[in-house]
Amino acid sequence: MTQDASDQAATGGASDITDARRLRERLSRVGYLADDDLATTVWLSDALQRPLLIEGDAGVGKTALAQALATANDAKLVRLQCFEGLDMSQAAYEWNYGRQLMAIRLQDGQRQLQDSDVFQREFLLERPLLQAISQPVPCVLLIDEIDRADQAFEAFLLEVLSEYQITVPELGTLRATHIPQVILTSNGTRELSDALRRRCLYHYLDYPTLAREMAIVKSVLPHADTHLVEEAVAFVQRLRKEDLSKIPGIAETLDWIRALFQLKQTSVLQDMTATLSTLGCLLKTQEDRFVIGPERITQLVEGRRSVGVAEKKQDHLQAILGNA
Amino acid sequence: MNQASSPSVAPANQVQAVAAAQRLASFASLLREHGLNVGVSEQQAMLDMLLRVGVTNEKPLQAAWRAMACHTQREWQQWPDIYQRFWHPDAVRGGVKVSGQTKPSRNLRQQMQSLHNDMDSATNPSGSKAAPHTAGDKPGSDSEANNQGESERAMGGASSTDPLHSREGQMWLPQELQALRLVARDITRRLRPKPTRRWERHANGRRLDMRQTLRNSVAWGNEFTLPCWKTSKTEPPRVFILVDVSRSMEAHASLFLRVARAFALEAQARVFVFHTRMIEVTPLMLRDSPAVQEKINAVTAGFGAGTRIAASLQSFSRSDARAQLGSNARVWVMSDGFDTDAPDDLAKALQALSAQGARTTWFHPTRDVPAAAAIRQARHSIDRFVPLASLADLKAAASKLH
Repeated sequence: MTQDASDQAATGGASDITDARRLRERLSRVGYLADDDLATTVWLSDALQRPLLIEGDAGVGKTALAQALATANDAKLVRLQCFEGLDMSQAAYEWNYGRQLMAIRLQDGQRQLQDSDVFQREFLLERPLLQAISQPVPCVLLIDEIDRADQAFEAFLLEVLSEYQITVPELGTLRATHIPQVILTSNGTRELSDALRRRCLYHYLDYPTLAREMAIVKSVLPHADTHLVEEAVAFVQRLRKEDLSKIPGIAETLDWIRALFQLKQTSVLQDMTATLSTLGCLLKTQEDRFVIGPERITQLVEGRRSVGVAEKKQDHLQAILGNA
Repeated sequence: MNQASSPSVAPANQVQAVAAAQRLASFASLLREHGLNVGVSEQQAMLDMLLRVGVTNEKPLQAAWRAMACHTQREWQQWPDIYQRFWHPDAVRGGVKVSGQTKPSRNLRQQMQSLHNDMDSATNPSGSKAAPHTAGDKPGSDSEANNQGESERAMGGASSTDPLHSREGQMWLPQELQALRLVARDITRRLRPKPTRRWERHANGRRLDMRQTLRNSVAWGNEFTLPCWKTSKTEPPRVFILVDVSRSMEAHASLFLRVARAFALEAQARVFVFHTRMIEVTPLMLRDSPAVQEKINAVTAGFGAGTRIAASLQSFSRSDARAQLGSNARVWVMSDGFDTDAPDDLAKALQALSAQGARTTWFHPTRDVPAAAAIRQARHSIDRFVPLASLADLKAAASKLH
């Protein structure tokens, strides 16, 4: 590193960090509270023009990040929802055979037809990947739940994600007019290939901390009763430590507090019948509903999950709540 | 903070800048040692980021490096510890940086001597180092050998049978490892794929894929020139191997880890080792280098401690493999069953695995099913017990593992 480079680093670094902070603020304004690390990673993905792979449990805000980013950047969100059996004709492009046949019949007898008459861009049906690289302005491309797609599709994605181009045999290579900001999400139900992982920046999105989740809820539901929010969020935080088959995510927390708010509850324990009837917002399986009964709810709300270490954690939690 | 080595120190001149770049190279090397896939391109990108963000902004720089160097959840969780140990060693209390092998290396002569010792101890059971009543022993074989004055292995080291099939190996020769891989390949072929309700396109499928045929026919003026066929889709089973490397398993962990490695290569199994906690070692297992065997020994040596099987299994089902456990999962636990957790905890942990649809097979190094209290209580949650102390045992178990 030369002195010039050092100077450049000093000035450039400051502006880059400011960019990351600005991005965080923009995301915050559209209702997505990202922490510093996540904001830096998203900014980095944009700066380096590299895809960002986000892994994490369902409901931690992976898809919401892409939506918020598109809104914050005032860009179009192009979404490709992956599923088993997804192929190129559904993800990238397909020839519009109907239009091609019509074009052939219209020109029938007028002149000798050539390949270029029917294999033109106008006869191409653009699917999400081609749409994303053909946008006149940069967009956000969300490739959602990539782990649900087959491995063969992953291999096809490599060209798109590394070169931002799609090769159509009849037309040639279609390069991106503007590089989209690509966000891939995965729930980890299948191991992704190393080749795909190495082309992406990586971020593991965990469940939010108590303070962050509270801030998210207050940001989305500003009119909700503060005591209810604090109690409900602390309850959900403790609930996540239980042995559940489906751990509730942030969306579930929001749904539940929204439901309690609609029922005019000011405390989780105010009306146990109402609490139990709304618990379906948090617990999505029969077994989980069976495990979490009224007694368990009371224990979790009061923080009497177990004796010993858990009590110390509860004291710590109360201290945080007190500070908040 | 270590001022001499911290990235937050702004290099005032070129010499310091070069030193910072060299320090970064050492850091990348350390990351590679810990299994992170940091190649030249990642290292270059990290250096670029150092220049771009600036060395005074440590927090965002660390976040950026983490996004570049980590590619999996395991690496993501490993990162803070590695970063702290390298850049802030003073802040890590009681930490000792360990790299390379932790057991003294042995030259070829010593290895051959060890092989001879193994052979001698095999002919003289009283001098055997292996645990008593291991699965490799045949019932009554000791007494029969003494009575008849001969055994499968003749005296003086000469043998009438190929010893690799029955030796409880610590030291493995290349041909033995190859034989192990062949057995693993055979077992992998026998693992029944799970039928799904979906169909997939297949050139030799038996059912006509009408939708795709119609779709293809559009390109040919609605003429059915290219019929498409489909077949029912199956999913290969997902194998998870959990190897106990606690002190009580010292004599057997080496064999189990080699077996696990063979399945990691042949069946894309995910391999975890545990003693009082659990850690995934699949990337290490997949690396094809002679050093891996020594690394396996190092792992075994480093984990010689107590055992918390129930807690490890809970961690496995709740976090490590939570999203991948289903009716297609095969969980192979390789342990002697001695657990320091409460006996009923293991039953609960295994029940949780069963509830998720996983089928559990317990490989034990002893001839009989472990008599530990925890195992007795958890028996009903274990699909089958398989004795495993040699390659022959694994071969014999091939028909049961499906």
